[in-house]
Amino acid sequence: MSPLERRRLGSGLVFISPWLIGFTVFLLIPVCLSFYYSFCDYSLLQTPAFIGLDNYRELLGDPVFWQSLRNTGVYASLALPAGMLVSLGLALLLNQKVVGQSIFRTLIFLPSLVPTVASAMLWLWLFNAKLGLINTLLDMPPFAATIQGINVALGAVHLPQIQTPISWLTDPAWALPALAFMSLWGVGQTVVIYLAGLQDVPGELIESAELDGANAWQRLWNVTLPMLSPVIFFNMIMAIIGALQEFSIPYIMTGGGPARATYFFTMYLYDNAFTYLKMGYASAMAWIQLLIVLLLTGLSFWLSKRWVHYQSK
Amino acid sequence: MLIVRGIILTALAGVLLYLLLFTGGAVAPEARGRIVVVYWEKWTGEEADQMMQIVNDFNNTVGKRKGIYVQYLSMSNITQKTLVSTAAGVPPDVAGLWDAQVPQFAAINALEPLDDLAKQHGITPDYYKPVYWKGCTYEGRLWGLISTPAAAALHYNKTLFLKHANKLKAAGLDPDRAPRTIEELDRYAAALDDIEIDSYGKKRIRASGHLPMEPGQWIAYTAYWFGGELFDAKTDRFTLTSPEVIRAYEWIKSYSVRLGRDSMTDFTSGFGQFNSTQNAFLSGAVAMEQEGPWMANYIENLKPSMNRWKFPKEKERDMSPEERRNNYEWGVAPFPSAVPGQDDVTFAAFDVLLIPRGAKHRKEAFEFMAYVNRQDVMEKLTSLHCKNSPLRIVSPDYIRNHPNPYIGIYEKLAASKNAHGVPPIPILPEVIDELNATTQRIYLLQAEPKDALADAQKRLQEKLDDFRKRQRLRQGGEI
Repeated sequence: MSPLERRRLGSGLVFISPWLIGFTVFLLIPVCLSFYYSFCDYSLLQTPAFIGLDNYRELLGDPVFWQSLRNTGVYASLALPAGMLVSLGLALLLNQKVVGQSIFRTLIFLPSLVPTVASAMLWLWLFNAKLGLINTLLDMPPFAATIQGINVALGAVHLPQIQTPISWLTDPAWALPALAFMSLWGVGQTVVIYLAGLQDVPGELIESAELDGANAWQRLWNVTLPMLSPVIFFNMIMAIIGALQEFSIPYIMTGGGPARATYFFTMYLYDNAFTYLKMGYASAMAWIQLLIVLLLTGLSFWLSKRWVHYQSK
Repeated sequence: MLIVRGIILTALAGVLLYLLLFTGGAVAPEARGRIVVVYWEKWTGEEADQMMQIVNDFNNTVGKRKGIYVQYLSMSNITQKTLVSTAAGVPPDVAGLWDAQVPQFAAINALEPLDDLAKQHGITPDYYKPVYWKGCTYEGRLWGLISTPAAAALHYNKTLFLKHANKLKAAGLDPDRAPRTIEELDRYAAALDDIEIDSYGKKRIRASGHLPMEPGQWIAYTAYWFGGELFDAKTDRFTLTSPEVIRAYEWIKSYSVRLGRDSMTDFTSGFGQFNSTQNAFLSGAVAMEQEGPWMANYIENLKPSMNRWKFPKEKERDMSPEERRNNYEWGVAPFPSAVPGQDDVTFAAFDVLLIPRGAKHRKEAFEFMAYVNRQDVMEKLTSLHCKNSPLRIVSPDYIRNHPNPYIGIYEKLAASKNAHGVPPIPILPEVIDELNATTQRIYLLQAEPKDALADAQKRLQEKLDDFRKRQRLRQGGEI
């Protein structure tokens, strides 16, 4: 290495050092330590005592662990596709050249700027069974008639009917879907990413499809969506990670209730770490969570070969 | 260019270092020359300001004389912050936590034992009502002193009793008094229920006599009113499947059965937050609730008309507690017991002052804690917070001038031999969470009390056994 190269390396390291030090001290070391603690009995206040696989073994036999995992899975399976569809739909609408386009874009993005606690308080009122806006709307003739129609259909196939007014957050059957519905409130950021992706779809491809006689739906299905697939894939991965880490909204709105119906994996992890002072147990949970995220991400990448199309290819 | 860059970077690093090293521990000018005791407290808002008055009193009197200055910091998430700071070796000198943290923190060696300091200050068990002293000890040692306590009692809405007087009389009940047994409570509740059948034939509750889960802050301890215990300290085993505990949860379930699960969840989901005018008791949605002595303050702040039933506030100054009680639209009585002859049953909760392990000024911190526990100071603090006193002896003026004219009832309950405190379980927060979830399962009719309690017993016993096993491992014993 020449003196100039050495000097450049030195300068480079100096400039990267704030990140490097931050990464090492606040991420790398804690991550490594948490892996070690997951094999320890550790309360933060006592020296970690190595107990082998006990934490993992105990987790497997812990019904609350499984319940929190199941809740998170159900939530993710509801919130993820709904969020993807709604954000993509909104992005497609906002991509249309209409008067006031920028106003609509701002309006859609605005909710994602509202602080989480404020959003939670707002939605607590919206979901209020007696005074909430949602139930008030559902009580209006067109919606009430629709619910009645659904109930007739449910009754015909001997399924439980929808009871109105719906106790959104106090009925175990509705609490998780309600939170998944609420998650749509924050789709603004995803919409912006989709919009950026849509700007990148080559106009000539759409034009040639149009010349070939493709209608709007065919252009969307055969051109826009394949060209947008890397962005959809990116948003999907981020949504999977986000859904599996959901914490603050249910923590504020339901506290995990009723009867642990909205008790998420991350909430149980937090309680173990900071309420029950079982940092080792919580570390084991964190590593299981990481493993699940890795597995799902890996699976998504593997499946992506079938439906994600990159322009360079 | 490189030199300029170097100078800028060095200057920035210098500023950062200065900020880190010298600006963290700024204290008030009057603290100069005194030992600074850092005191973290969980209260925010009015209660925090009221504690601040006590801290100021200390700093201006005893603190000045002894060269101690208490630096008071009110904060949220105090349990976590205390824990993390203790682990980091920089804990506050005094932490104001909850009763459940006494056994939990003591069991993991997170606290300084206080027996020697209490002895030096002449603080002995007989200075306190037994239930509170017991709650401050764990495995025979003293770990904290009370800041403010409470006792659970039945609060009832006299106006609603009068409104439904005919129904109550028809049920053979006296509308001028509170129920005295659980059986009577259930009959009062049924007579006070206001239920309609809507156009779909569905039962809709407009108002309810009583709901065990509202507000439900002490629902985990319901077994005490049924003669049950949650835990046997001698055998180190939970007793959640005992007939008394099962009976308590059968009672909770009976309300869901009588009122209908869906009707009840519809009804309760319309309630606002506790600290709001939509509070179920304040809004008249629920006629009888289990609550603490602070209700007088909440009512005064949120719905003062309930404290001015007959006369305006100006006249209150000249009234005796008896007359003030008659001027209140609400009344207080011991929460009824299900066990004949077992009177004045209560759950006596408390807030506690603790010295985390490794606190720099243990002795000075205890000076402040002892000051708070002085009779005159404690009476001032608990009057401000509208709570009862943890001390065995209270002055006649305290009862006469207390903002809650029913304070004598809470005092009697807290001093009763049937007063129960937090059980000495090292995993208590986990126990409370589990019992709350169990109660919800039963309340929502998802499980039979017997089965749900058997699940809770199994899970919690396993957790406790595991905790003990790991404790033995730490002590070098067999695992």
